[in-house]
Amino acid sequence: MAAADSCDGISTSGGGWEKTVTLVSSDDARFEVREAAASLSQTVRRMIRAGGDGGIPLPKVDARTLSTVLEYCNKHAAVPAPAPESSSAEAAAVDLEWFDKELMHVDLATLCSLIRAADYLEVAGLLDLTCKTVADMIKSKTAEEIRQMFGIQNDFTPEEEEQLSRENAGVFE
Amino acid sequence: MSPPTTRAMRARAAASSDRIPPDVLFDVLLCLPARDLCRLRAVCRSWCDLTAGDPLFVTAHAAHHPGPLFLAKFRDDKASIYVVDLSGSVVKRIPGAGGGPSHRLLCTRLNLACVATDWNRCSVLNPATGAVQVLPEILAEEHINRVNLSNPYTFFALGRVAATGEHKVLRMFNRLGFYNGGQQLFEVFTVSGGDGDARWRGRQGPGLFIDECSGTVIDGVVYFLTNKVYDGARCGIRPDYIVSFDLGKEEWRRDLRGPISSNVEHAKVVLYLRRDLSLADLKGSLVLADQRDQPFTMDIWFLSNFQNGLWVKEYHIRTESIISRLG
Repeated sequence: MAAADSCDGISTSGGGWEKTVTLVSSDDARFEVREAAASLSQTVRRMIRAGGDGGIPLPKVDARTLSTVLEYCNKHAAVPAPAPESSSAEAAAVDLEWFDKELMHVDLATLCSLIRAADYLEVAGLLDLTCKTVADMIKSKTAEEIRQMFGIQNDFTPEEEEQLSRENAGVFE
Repeated sequence: MSPPTTRAMRARAAASSDRIPPDVLFDVLLCLPARDLCRLRAVCRSWCDLTAGDPLFVTAHAAHHPGPLFLAKFRDDKASIYVVDLSGSVVKRIPGAGGGPSHRLLCTRLNLACVATDWNRCSVLNPATGAVQVLPEILAEEHINRVNLSNPYTFFALGRVAATGEHKVLRMFNRLGFYNGGQQLFEVFTVSGGDGDARWRGRQGPGLFIDECSGTVIDGVVYFLTNKVYDGARCGIRPDYIVSFDLGKEEWRRDLRGPISSNVEHAKVVLYLRRDLSLADLKGSLVLADQRDQPFTMDIWFLSNFQNGLWVKEYHIRTESIISRLG
């Protein structure tokens, strides 16, 4: 098997063996992850298919960010798929939602690193989650509050500002 | 892989903040609805450029938020065009784009809008950027001196040619009218975005007097019913006869028989009157509405295949006498 070199095996709690892969962060930290979890990243999934030895290098993601990404992947890949509408499915969904919310309790810089990592690794669920988190932070704020939040200079001339506020007049009371 | 335009665009935006990198910003702003984006344009120039002007962002945003947006003109602000969402909230106001009190917003299903009067004023609006292209009033070379430009009567229709992605406007001058021996002149203009040296091109007429009020654009083709002067079928023109102009080939297409004369015995067709019929765009298809009195009903016929002239009656609606006729 082409991908065998980057795949090891670990024992799961159920007693069976599950295939694992080793991911290597930009700062050379090695993470051994179940293949099912790592495959939530489309980028990793493609690299597993392509094969290679000594682990899968991810030069754009540092260890700290990668560990959070993998925390997300492990949790989301672990959720079994019970019959929808069953009580256990509902409980799992609530648990997952709570987990996601907790994971997003980080500062803006970390969120930005996570968005970049999720974008590069193509973890659609995490990209969606992190972007929505930052979008929610922006959503209810005024332009001035956003400038302060991100340290952005207002580079509009007074005339341009006047024009923009005229365009928005009557639309946003 | 991101196309290079993404990187170029992202690099441009890079100057704005080190706390939120431009590629991250791109992804974040995609999550926000159009209504919030309009407000956020006031943050700084790069945010404004990204959300209002970058075609890549605009396209990606439309894909993320498939809910339809509508354009509207309101009675108390005739100089502006408003972008409205399904719930009726105003998403954006585009001042100056509405023309004036006599300008009407034409019905299109495109990313561009067309605002025109009956007297030869027409502009094309890009609601995403707010850019307005005013179309020239001057005649096509072929029609010089054939229209009195001090008192014109015009019809306009905007459509998109799927094969090339071009947007074109059909202009018709309705000179004098049928009974005064007048003629209808047709011209086509390709919308370029810039003013350039674009000009109107004269085109042949369909050989029949058409009813400009019935003009309906579907997929780059403008459909017309014939003029009411042919009513009564005395001239052998069936009341549901439809002529259509292909904006891609810039020529009139072959005959299209309406559903009435295709489905009713010939003897009965003459009983139908042209004024009972109207054309419209419904669910992206050409429909012909046939309104009858006693009992008051309306049949809605969908054109399902132009080549075979196949019409399907999808709705039969009981109406009341107070409902005024369409078209």
